[in-house]
Amino acid sequence: MNYIETQAIIIGGGATGAGTLRDLTLRGINSVLIEKNDIASGTTGRNHGLLHSGARYAVKDLESATECIAENRILKKIARHCVEDTGGLFVTLPEDDPSYHGKLLASCKFAGIPAHELSTKEALALEPNLNPDILSAIRVPDGTIDPFRLASANVLDSTERGGRIFTHCDVKSLIKEGSAVKGVQCYDRVKGMDFEIRGDIVVNAAGVWGQHICGLAGVELKMFPSKGSMVIIDYRINNIVVNRCRVPADGDIIVPGDTVSIIGTTSKKIEYNEIERLIVDDDEIEVLLADGEKLIPHVSKTRVLRAYCGVRPLVDISGDIKGRDISRGIVLVDHEERDSTGGFITIAGGKLMTYRLMAEMTANLVAKKLKVKKKCSTHRIPLPGSEKKIQPMKQIKKFTGIPGSVTGSTLYRHGQRVHNILTKDRKNYGLICECEMVTAGEIEYALKNLNVKDIVDLRRRTRIGMGPCQGELCSYRAAGLFVEFEAAGAKDANIMLKDFLEERWKGIKPILWGDSLRETEFTYWIYQGLFGLGDIPEGDGKK
Amino acid sequence: MNYDCLIIGGGISGLTCGIKCVSEGLRCGILSSGMSALHFSSGSIDLYGYHTNRKIVYQPLDYIERLIIPEGRHPYSKCGIDMIREGISFFSETLEKEGLVLYHNNDYNHFHVSTMGTVKPTYLSQRSVFNDSIKEGFKKRSKIAILNFSGFRDFYPELAAENLRKNSLFSLFDIITGEIELPLFRRTEKNPHEFRSMDIARIFDSEKYLPGIANQIVNASGGALFVGLPAFIGINNFTRIYQRLSELTGMLIYEIPTLPPSILGMRIDDALKSRFAALGGEFIAGDTVNGGEIVNGVLDHIHTENHGSTRLRSKFFVLSSGSFFSRGLVSEFNMIREPVFNLKVAASEDRREWYSPSFFQKESHPFLEYGVVTNNTLNPEDTQGATVENLFCTGAILPHYNPIREGCGGGVAISTGYFAAKKIIEGCRS
Repeated sequence: MNYIETQAIIIGGGATGAGTLRDLTLRGINSVLIEKNDIASGTTGRNHGLLHSGARYAVKDLESATECIAENRILKKIARHCVEDTGGLFVTLPEDDPSYHGKLLASCKFAGIPAHELSTKEALALEPNLNPDILSAIRVPDGTIDPFRLASANVLDSTERGGRIFTHCDVKSLIKEGSAVKGVQCYDRVKGMDFEIRGDIVVNAAGVWGQHICGLAGVELKMFPSKGSMVIIDYRINNIVVNRCRVPADGDIIVPGDTVSIIGTTSKKIEYNEIERLIVDDDEIEVLLADGEKLIPHVSKTRVLRAYCGVRPLVDISGDIKGRDISRGIVLVDHEERDSTGGFITIAGGKLMTYRLMAEMTANLVAKKLKVKKKCSTHRIPLPGSEKKIQPMKQIKKFTGIPGSVTGSTLYRHGQRVHNILTKDRKNYGLICECEMVTAGEIEYALKNLNVKDIVDLRRRTRIGMGPCQGELCSYRAAGLFVEFEAAGAKDANIMLKDFLEERWKGIKPILWGDSLRETEFTYWIYQGLFGLGDIPEGDGKK
Repeated sequence: MNYDCLIIGGGISGLTCGIKCVSEGLRCGILSSGMSALHFSSGSIDLYGYHTNRKIVYQPLDYIERLIIPEGRHPYSKCGIDMIREGISFFSETLEKEGLVLYHNNDYNHFHVSTMGTVKPTYLSQRSVFNDSIKEGFKKRSKIAILNFSGFRDFYPELAAENLRKNSLFSLFDIITGEIELPLFRRTEKNPHEFRSMDIARIFDSEKYLPGIANQIVNASGGALFVGLPAFIGINNFTRIYQRLSELTGMLIYEIPTLPPSILGMRIDDALKSRFAALGGEFIAGDTVNGGEIVNGVLDHIHTENHGSTRLRSKFFVLSSGSFFSRGLVSEFNMIREPVFNLKVAASEDRREWYSPSFFQKESHPFLEYGVVTNNTLNPEDTQGATVENLFCTGAILPHYNPIREGCGGGVAISTGYFAAKKIIEGCRS
């Protein structure tokens, strides 16, 4: 059996886990991250990708609001290529309580969030698709953030500095010596192999799945999972984040992101045993579309591309099973103190926006326990791809002759790392995903550098298959490239192609009408009618 | 403008119907709004391929006669076995007149090889497609080389070879993969939108490159007797090019259907359109039918996007506008409708019943079986429930069959198109 020794072991490859891996590596602490699926495949990648200014929390939750604005400023510096500084609006509709507008302005001022009142005319000039009947508008420094890119850049920075990551690996059990946790027993689902990691400290950063990990350690931590659903609108119908200026409720935000816009979000309490089989309900879709349309009337005329949902990892810190004392804030538990279980820390709660702060708090505790003096530097050192201000597109185009549309998209996704991708090589001229302008060269880069194990992972790194056609042509091509670039054998490539289309199907099913149904018929015609992919014998059940 | 027969939809069904009508001297027009399903088809005509349990059907006509026709609702039930046989023969003869000879294995299905290396039962294929002549290779342990054109992103020989090797039919073969390259075409790759099957087919169409290509094929195939290439061996001049390439290489060359655009399908599309025009049919491309007026169970006229207020009149009309992808059917949040005449459809009103839980579910998806309800002579019902006597529905717009699960899309399109033509000819003569 394979055996790895390290100082810190992090369970969970969401933004918090990835951020912790980076923070610890930067402090010179030997660290290994283990993730049961892929980087950013859980809650991290299942939200609307809003770079909060904190305004959304300003009225009710001052602590969250101040955390948000501080992190907002940091991320705009260290994660330039993951962030779009779109700005945000809070608009009041005729049916909304007009007094919330004043409350929001005052609370933002108190929290230190720059919020400015705009005339409705100014707001409409900024965002022409906005409902023209709005009564008032406030401008805030909201933006958008790509959670996949963010988590991946954190991992990349760490691995380039010696950190290690194992994706698609299950934690089977925790190794305990006496009352202390000393490591983890793992199973690699890709290789079909058991292995063991031993270390001084195990960090449970598994988000909502952290309840299970705590169980493995023999301690109790109760999660109150809350489902949030969103729909993706094909085309970017707004360029500024549009919030509804009212007490937070379902369907009160539209966030532009890459080539699409996302309407968020619902909130439904669910049981812990439901978190693995979440589905978006019809009533959620109806609410999101109806309320989205009130903010931007275009919504009803635009194709709906997908619906998806995530689980908020709300923690019950008191252990009260009725869940009265649920925190939305950050929860850092030193189990040595709370449960007399040494070498075990849980970081939970919080939000994507505060992932870096959560990582910093966790790393501080780990460093203290390991008696490492080095302080946090993640707020200063830019992520890979965000090192310098981005070079103008024209320069790259002049050098390679690659069309601006391709250069622009690659630059947008990988920042400065574009220079490692768009070299003067014929691979870079072959377009694999036409919707998102992904070249064979970008795929090769991702396969070789970004911990990609299958086409679903590849989608998170490159946006392949995320556009209007939802992987119709590019998924077959991607499977072929896995073989061509020796990232998988032909047999596994066949299986991952099927798995990828099944994964896309999950988000299409709930919105299967209109053009989505047309597209589905076409995709089904190709992959079942033409290719007979469904008739290929199943794999040996490894994955 | 007055027609005997005006057809809405220029796919395989509408064209078969139109060609039959004009060949009997009718004045016939076809209105087409764009590319038809032939452009993303395999280019083979499936008659009936699979039992409900996905087991393969070997004798499709026999199976249809014994098990499908008695069932009653299937479009084949309405045609009857004689009409199906007649329609398929008519279709074959039509293409042959245009120089496109189709292979068939008497009353049996043969098997063609797909891009993924799966083997699919089908009834009619172009002679360049994998068929039972591969059996010659069974006698001795032969080699098959699956080759790609370097830089072509829509075909990966390794994926096909993997599945083909697992297939018991090919267990006696040694399957290798390789690439052919023509440096002359390197620069084509620079434009990321080019280098699809169509671009390569054009290269093949020009005979001057053939000797070079043939040389490459021989060199890349390591002494194999059989060569599998993505289907791009010429489009305008296919029969001649294929013949020449076989001679130059001395090998048996098979074409494998690719991702769209389907060159194999486009050859059929070209041949059908050419035949229709040669017989005096009027093909009106790029126009969309907006609606029509049905008075007392008779469709009086239709109007279109391009013809504005002009009413197009005809004794008979055919609606062969396809299913959802071709917009013959339209789906909304919780409703499925036929957009031109609002004809009665067979479909569930609950969206959650339209699809199956997994994409590759063995039972396939119910929405593929939705369509316009007709009587036994393919006449639909209008909004008031009255039968429209001079309107026939054919092809993929019809309900109660699943072209993909059953493997019968081409057969239904041809049979129903032909059946409608016979009824229309009968009607015009009486």
